[in-house]
Amino acid sequence: MIGEHFEVNSQSYGRGLEGLNAGKTSIGKIDGKTGRLWYRGYSIEDLAEKSNFEEVSYLILHGKLPTDRQCCTWEQELHGWRTPPREALSVLQWLPSDAHPLAKYRTMLSVAACHMPEGENTRVDAQWRRPSRVLSWSTALAAAAIRHMNGRPPLSPNHDLGFSDNFLYQALGRKPDKLESKAFETSLIVQAEHGLHAAALSALVVISTGADLGSAVLAGMGALSGKLHGGANQTAFEMFQSLTDADEAKEWTEQKLGEKYRFPGFGHRIYKTDDPRAKILEPYAEQLLKKSGKENLWAVYETVKHEVETRLGKRGIYANVDAVTGLIYHPLGLPTESFPIPFALAIQTGWMAHCLEYIPDGKMIEPGAVYIPKE
Amino acid sequence: MYNTLSQPYSWRENSLEWPLTSETGPGLSGVIACETGISWIDVAKGELYYRGINIRDLAGHCSFEEIAFLLITGNKPAENRAEYKTFLEQVYGARILPEPVVEIVKGLPPDAHPTRLLRAGVSALGCYAMTPGEEYRDQHMWNDFAVIGQVAQLVTIIINLKRDAFTFDYGAEVSLSYNLLLNILWRTPDEDEVRLLNLGWMLYADHGLDAPTFTGMIVGSTLADPYYNIVAGLSALRGPKLGGTGEQVLKQLLAFRDENVACAWARGMLSMKWKIPGFGHRMYATEDPRVQILKRELRKYAASIGEEEVLDVAEAVEKVVSEQLAPKGIFVNINYYAAILFHLLGVEPELVPCMYAIGRMAGVIARLREYATHNRLFRPDEEYMGPLDLPYIPREE
Repeated sequence: MIGEHFEVNSQSYGRGLEGLNAGKTSIGKIDGKTGRLWYRGYSIEDLAEKSNFEEVSYLILHGKLPTDRQCCTWEQELHGWRTPPREALSVLQWLPSDAHPLAKYRTMLSVAACHMPEGENTRVDAQWRRPSRVLSWSTALAAAAIRHMNGRPPLSPNHDLGFSDNFLYQALGRKPDKLESKAFETSLIVQAEHGLHAAALSALVVISTGADLGSAVLAGMGALSGKLHGGANQTAFEMFQSLTDADEAKEWTEQKLGEKYRFPGFGHRIYKTDDPRAKILEPYAEQLLKKSGKENLWAVYETVKHEVETRLGKRGIYANVDAVTGLIYHPLGLPTESFPIPFALAIQTGWMAHCLEYIPDGKMIEPGAVYIPKE
Repeated sequence: MYNTLSQPYSWRENSLEWPLTSETGPGLSGVIACETGISWIDVAKGELYYRGINIRDLAGHCSFEEIAFLLITGNKPAENRAEYKTFLEQVYGARILPEPVVEIVKGLPPDAHPTRLLRAGVSALGCYAMTPGEEYRDQHMWNDFAVIGQVAQLVTIIINLKRDAFTFDYGAEVSLSYNLLLNILWRTPDEDEVRLLNLGWMLYADHGLDAPTFTGMIVGSTLADPYYNIVAGLSALRGPKLGGTGEQVLKQLLAFRDENVACAWARGMLSMKWKIPGFGHRMYATEDPRVQILKRELRKYAASIGEEEVLDVAEAVEKVVSEQLAPKGIFVNINYYAAILFHLLGVEPELVPCMYAIGRMAGVIARLREYATHNRLFRPDEEYMGPLDLPYIPREE
């Protein structure tokens, strides 16, 4: 968010700062009416089809697609930080294995933050050295948190694999096949940046106090864990999984529609039409589910989606990305509780880009409140 | 329409009608994020009210626990004795932390910044305190009072970790300030010391939607587990422009033994137009009421123990700076004198942000509870000013 060109103006906005223009940005553009999303001017359809996560993260952070040489350096940088501090991994042995993987992941990240080289250096050049550390460390830590759920020890990184494949390898203990690899990487690419959502906003508030980028990412992680935010893909999947087949799904959805139920994974503050991210991911989810013999789950998704969208579509409620990602992560073998983690891994790129964009301006973010005495 | 830019904390009889219109500026200044009944900052007159009570009337007469109870529940402890008693039991009882959490904190590198250690400790606590699937909306399932006691205890452990000393818990009967001082001083603290520490925490307890509180609220608005809110809030609190200021001030002031040297340094900084830590606060058009209280109480205390040196230096520097900057509306802020308060109690400079954290827990929890009653996810928009639909040309492999 670039605040320096921001003039004082009069604005109307709703609760939760809905509709408020918080500042200017050149990172991403969301068009909620036509259902489109661009990163730095490139449409996500193009990037999802042709690019990889390393390149997209470079694009989001630096504003330009990397040249061969830049891409090579960036990949090397990411590779170099694939081994997190041993102390951060060993924290796992003290944590209860039934705690939520995001909570374990957050704890490991906060411990890793104590071991971050030049942790207290908040000069701009030091901040720019952090994204690769944050991305690579968090991948390893997240994978370890997922493995800890089943009581398995962390795996070392596989340096033959790219960013996304390596995460799957470290989390699942096996190399993904071609379809799995493409599906997962696409899910990371389309979720890598999404404007000033709650998590990005909280990261921005933290960076505006002059803190380091790692602290900002930790704050974003917090917001992401919420049921209304990153946790939505877990709740949405649990909803689909609780329905056995299309008939039951139809009946249940109709009943819930009557009760004015809020379907997790449906409706979005900005998209009032099809979510482009969901549209890109749907074919992959379908293929993966059919390949692993879970056609029913796909049928359930399609039924619920159809029912909800025919009834509520005119009010702008459509399936969003959170409804679909679970249908990709489940056939890959990731545990349901861990679904918010890949989302966190991808979208922290966007938070860091927002933070780095904000640093030069750096005005402390501090809104006001209206005091109304208690009756 | 409210002119909120000059009056970010307006006072209203009736609830607001959303959407509302206001003047907005950079850094969300002028934006009204929510309604609140917790604290009111009278910007023009320089007054701060907790639940309608002027802090000048509270300062020095209340323990931190009483202030926390007042802020969180909106009730006066004297009028709700039974409720206050349960509150105290929960806060004090929470000081017995799960053994693994203590082990994790003890295993952290002692040379890392204490707020990082505190953040890791709180995060680990969250793994124990929450069972999966709980939501903040049913927040009575988790015990938010306990967080105050837990954070205070973690800070005590961290102080002793830095000094390579043992931490003692002196039992569930002992107040937070007494317990902390026993651990810092290794002797029975006297009444004045307890009073001063309570005052410091009280002044930090709540101050509108500043970064730590607002971060906590954004996180809370997603219905995240409350330990995430605290972790996020702590991340904001240690920023050099906020909680970190006190640390910088103290390091700077302690380096000067002499008023003349300090004043010469301040004049030098001013002539170079460099920022001096501890000065400037966007909120008040006049002197911060908390600073006035602090100055009075600090002078009294410092005189009674005969350690007025740092305070003299601090006031001399403030005088030099204020002469030049006060006409421009830049006044000394609370971090400047609060750092000296904690120093007089034997707290090292780098632990000052942790002290801030203990105090602020009261305000954060109060605001989380309040916002949860009419929750709405925070999600502003941005204006995109880059190109669109650039053609993607893959690199040659």
